[in-house]
Amino acid sequence: MTAPALRTRKSSLLGREARLGWTLVAPALSVIALIAIFPLGWTFWESLHLHELRMPWLGQPFVGLTNYVEIAKDPRFWAALGHTVFFTVVSISLELLIGLFLALAMNRVFRGRGFVRAAVLVPWAIPTVVAALLWRFIFESQGGIANALLVDAGILKQPLVWFIETATAWVPVILADVWKTTPFVALLLLAGLQNIDLSLYEAAAVDGANAWWQLRHITLPLLKPAILVTLIFRTLDGFRVFDLIYVLTGGGPGTSTEPVALYTFNALLQNLRFGYGSALSVVIFVITFGLALLYVKGLGVRLGGDES
Amino acid sequence: MVLNPGIRVELQRTPDDANQRHQLYVQWLNARVGNPSILQLDVIWTPEFAAAGWVLPLTPYGPASGEFFPATIEANTWAGKLYALPWFADVGLQYRRTDLVPREPNTLEEMVASARTAMARPGGPHYGIVFQGARYEGLITGFVEYLGAFGGRIIDEKGEVVVNKPEAVRALEFMRDELYGSRVAPLDVLTWHEEETRYAFQNGNAAFMRNWPYAVAAMSDSSQSKVAGRFAVSPMPKSATAPNGHSAAALGGAQLAINAYTESPDAAYKLIAYLTAPEQMLERAQAVGQYPTRSALYDDARLKSAIAIPLDAARRAVESATPRPVTPIYTELSEILQIELHRALVRQAEPKDALNSAAAKINALIDRTGMRKLMSATAHTE
Repeated sequence: MTAPALRTRKSSLLGREARLGWTLVAPALSVIALIAIFPLGWTFWESLHLHELRMPWLGQPFVGLTNYVEIAKDPRFWAALGHTVFFTVVSISLELLIGLFLALAMNRVFRGRGFVRAAVLVPWAIPTVVAALLWRFIFESQGGIANALLVDAGILKQPLVWFIETATAWVPVILADVWKTTPFVALLLLAGLQNIDLSLYEAAAVDGANAWWQLRHITLPLLKPAILVTLIFRTLDGFRVFDLIYVLTGGGPGTSTEPVALYTFNALLQNLRFGYGSALSVVIFVITFGLALLYVKGLGVRLGGDES
Repeated sequence: MVLNPGIRVELQRTPDDANQRHQLYVQWLNARVGNPSILQLDVIWTPEFAAAGWVLPLTPYGPASGEFFPATIEANTWAGKLYALPWFADVGLQYRRTDLVPREPNTLEEMVASARTAMARPGGPHYGIVFQGARYEGLITGFVEYLGAFGGRIIDEKGEVVVNKPEAVRALEFMRDELYGSRVAPLDVLTWHEEETRYAFQNGNAAFMRNWPYAVAAMSDSSQSKVAGRFAVSPMPKSATAPNGHSAAALGGAQLAINAYTESPDAAYKLIAYLTAPEQMLERAQAVGQYPTRSALYDDARLKSAIAIPLDAARRAVESATPRPVTPIYTELSEILQIELHRALVRQAEPKDALNSAAAKINALIDRTGMRKLMSATAHTE
């Protein structure tokens, strides 16, 4: 058999294999196209129209980027974006800190570790709306539990009406999110911790390194992939925060705790402004997609699979 | 139906929550669904559905609109035509503890003074006045009542936005003063809806409460209410300082309209006429305590035993009924106002600035939706 013939056969074999590969993933790809790409495309198309379900007399004219211009000029949108960023940064920082602490504790060998690991997940297992209602109940009314505890402890002189001042309205929101999501963060970090080779610590201990040095120079660097994966998940979740705030503050007082997702919900499902609401949805999509890209490319997160 | 043997009536369940029901209707009507052929509308929806062409004008059927309270007809009229008949009325009422405040106050100022006196009594209630101050539709209904008391309006008869005129600013300042000045209202009300105010009042913690008629029944039951037999209702008083002020009760309630896509509009109208007939209204009042919208029924002795409050108080309240702005863009207008009123009441903004901002946004909304033309057309036909 001559060399060229061998090559053709090999390449045709490769071609066949590639074709087979595409055939095998085709169902998956078409499902993605159907449930992700097609609705996204339609939302974008919708966002280029004036389409108010409640006002049929306006028709459905193509208006180009008018909806996007309205968003750019709307102070309520920019305020909502600010609230979203604030909420995301504050709650995720707290969750990472507390979650790391919990993960380090759970990583030690002690009796009943399995039980603690399961128990810690309980807040995470409670549906967000239920958790939010519980927190609302704790902070609501001047006779509520939060007020009673804080007044008894001497921290507050008199009960607060938490939901009528912007600063105090954020407290239950952030607390509820931290309470609910820290277990999830802790578990992701714990998985990362368990991948660290214990012999590294032994070697460091032999060299006389103390616990703090070990944490800074072994644990944290080797935990970086787990931390970044956590950050991706939590940032994207934080940016889409909706149910928690919807139940706790409804975006109030005024609109001073309103996140972009709630503003979008309002435009789309309360006011039934399909064009404008779609434009808002596209904006949220672009922001979260951009953030995901930034994490993956910029920070070099490896999302599974090896890079050869 | 006995009177119309050819007509068969089928009931269709819809969500109890007004927002959800509205959303469902809008989806149906955008898809041109003809069922159900009769739609039960909230009082603030009629102009929206009329302007959208989703409900049929009732004028061709010659309804006896003169027999209903004028406010209930006004709320269902768009561009000079009647689009729905009022089925039952809900009106904002002022509840008063008769053991703490024996005499009904004639003015808002008197009301605040009596509230303060009641609070100062040994063993008196914590709160003088409670109302619905959370950021939702209920805030608008309360505001409409204070607004009327000071002679203000949100939109005037020419379709101009007047919610930032001095009367309106005074009304909002009065509400804010109840919270921070005379302190007769607790700051908690800024997060309260109907039920929270009712709990406060029926547990004996408030001298006055603004609420709807439904609260009468629950609070008259001495097994759950500490104030059974010790309260009275009246319409909200007017302000002593406003010459054009009048006693105003926000109008709520249900209307019946014909789905524009129905195959049997004539049968639908017959059913609406039947359901809004005097005998049916009396039966509704007797069965579920809902207030009739026909004025003559308030002279009928049978109504007296049906509703829980003195007939005279009920009549005065329904006669003071004031519709919220009758416009197809009401929902968005209301959202703007809810936010700005709440900002003023939690002291994020001064009342005057908040109302100026609301007026500017409502005007922008009117322009964006082409409402200016539609509204002036309505003004001409009236």
